[in-house]
Amino acid sequence: MESQELPYVLVDCIGGRLGVYEDHLGFLKKRFHLITMKEYLENKTFLSKKIRAIYVWYHKPAINEELLQSLNNLKVVASAGVGIDHLDLKLLSSYGVKVSNTPFVVSTDTADMGMALMLASSRRLVEGHEMAVSPDTEYFPVDWLGAEVSGATLGIVGMGKIGYKVAERAKAFEMKILYHNRNQRKKEEESAVGAIYCKKIDDLLQQSDFVLLAATLTPQTHKLIGKRELELMKPTATLINISRGKVQNKQNCIKVWWHDKSWENLQL
Amino acid sequence: MEEGELPWLLVNEVGGIRGILHSHVPFLKKHFHLITMKEFLENRKDVGKMVQAIYLWWHKPVIDKELLQSLPNLKVIANSGVGMDHLDLKLIASFGVKMANAPRAVSSTTADTGMALLLASARRLVEVHNISISPSMDYCEADILGVKVAGATLGIIGMGRIGYKIAVRAKAFEMNILYHNRTRRKVHEEQAVGATYCKKIDSLLQQADFVMLVVSLTPQTHKLIGKRELELMKPTATLINISRGAVVDQEALVAALQTGVIRAAALDVTSPEPLPRDHALLKLKNVIITPHLGIKTDKATYMITEEAVENILAALNGLPLPSEVLPS
Repeated sequence: MESQELPYVLVDCIGGRLGVYEDHLGFLKKRFHLITMKEYLENKTFLSKKIRAIYVWYHKPAINEELLQSLNNLKVVASAGVGIDHLDLKLLSSYGVKVSNTPFVVSTDTADMGMALMLASSRRLVEGHEMAVSPDTEYFPVDWLGAEVSGATLGIVGMGKIGYKVAERAKAFEMKILYHNRNQRKKEEESAVGAIYCKKIDDLLQQSDFVLLAATLTPQTHKLIGKRELELMKPTATLINISRGKVQNKQNCIKVWWHDKSWENLQL
Repeated sequence: MEEGELPWLLVNEVGGIRGILHSHVPFLKKHFHLITMKEFLENRKDVGKMVQAIYLWWHKPVIDKELLQSLPNLKVIANSGVGMDHLDLKLIASFGVKMANAPRAVSSTTADTGMALLLASARRLVEVHNISISPSMDYCEADILGVKVAGATLGIIGMGRIGYKIAVRAKAFEMNILYHNRTRRKVHEEQAVGATYCKKIDSLLQQADFVMLVVSLTPQTHKLIGKRELELMKPTATLINISRGAVVDQEALVAALQTGVIRAAALDVTSPEPLPRDHALLKLKNVIITPHLGIKTDKATYMITEEAVENILAALNGLPLPSEVLPS
């Protein structure tokens, strides 16, 4: 490599619906020579040996064996966000390519979104807004009520970084917190948020007023919440999903999942 | 009064769009002989002298001199909530009638409403919900980004019971908290939530990313937030109002939102409620309006009735009221 030449990094596309944000280009171009998939496909022979990294943004570009075979100098795939269910880790490892995600920057905003959804759902915020602005509204009926969050029981399924941040927030609402996780958290961590471990997910489902899914999507959590689990839940309970759509069986319940979207100036 | 006869309690109406909730009636009837305004008006003289208490539900019935004069044995009025701006406290006191509100029942739920609005506005929840369910997928992810809550500064104007509960919640969201209040809170109360006192409201307005109004409506807080205050706020700031519509100069707010003087507003209360259907606030994309959600949960409304009954019974038994309100 010539001295002072920036490393070539492949991205799917820039701008548009799901592309790398234009606002991030300044930062990226200071450090890398950015190549889009379109540019790569137009000049595969030359570019395939130059590309040393891929920046995966909104799960694109899809990384398959064909791509890995052509990019013989690829060292690392950096995935935006914490979820990596869209990557074949075994395949990447077999090509000697490192993989990274961004667990630290996403946890707070994702936890905030979980709380936002829980509050909006229980207090019927979206419906209420529609009533408040509808051309047909003449009055606000006093018997139009929502459900209480303060003092209610929250069951967190998946107590990783995000789940734990949700617990910290829920504690301030005087919520009773139950959690189900592959492993039990340390005692000090549990006491700090007043969280009670439910080894069996059923126990959590039966007692919770709000069930929040913050688990990673894996073969074990795929369709974790199906007909059986929904029927174990209280009829008055609300399901909040901030993990992945596939963690719940779409045929049996309304999809409530959300990407976290909060933009902050990137800090190195 | 005959032995065993329950005291007579006057309410405006039961059921319908404005009346006492049907689910509360059995509890009320356990303690009182319930009389509606309609029944009172049909037989003012006889019913009038029997009424010892009034339970105000969503500000009704209206308490005026005429009503007070027709209820010679009225001992106490219990208000369903903490807002007292619809009452003439001096007038009521002049008739020797005690006044109570329901602070314990409302504070957590109203604080929850404030946080719900803050988060919904910050993360553009209504907007993105509508995009998510829309038949067209025509949007850019980059265009629907919200603003960060963690590390942002929340300025609480009015740090009473409700304002303080908001501070407790906001602290858990890693927010930096400023507050402005008639009086400063005790040091240990400030430290518990990491709140910094702003003696001058201007200082709070200039620093806050989110300004939350949690004051009572009084002559001093009427149009507390007007053109001047909005211009002091950051252009990236959000105004959240869970107090009373009249605390904000609505025309000034519309102008500020239209011209980007502030980023957005989330209003649980307006003046009037509901707003006229052609009001400019209804058309703005950067406004969330909710139908006075405040305490609208099954649990809170029931607790309000319980708190009211507690106060009424105390008054009728000559005991101190748990939540008496005196004219200031």
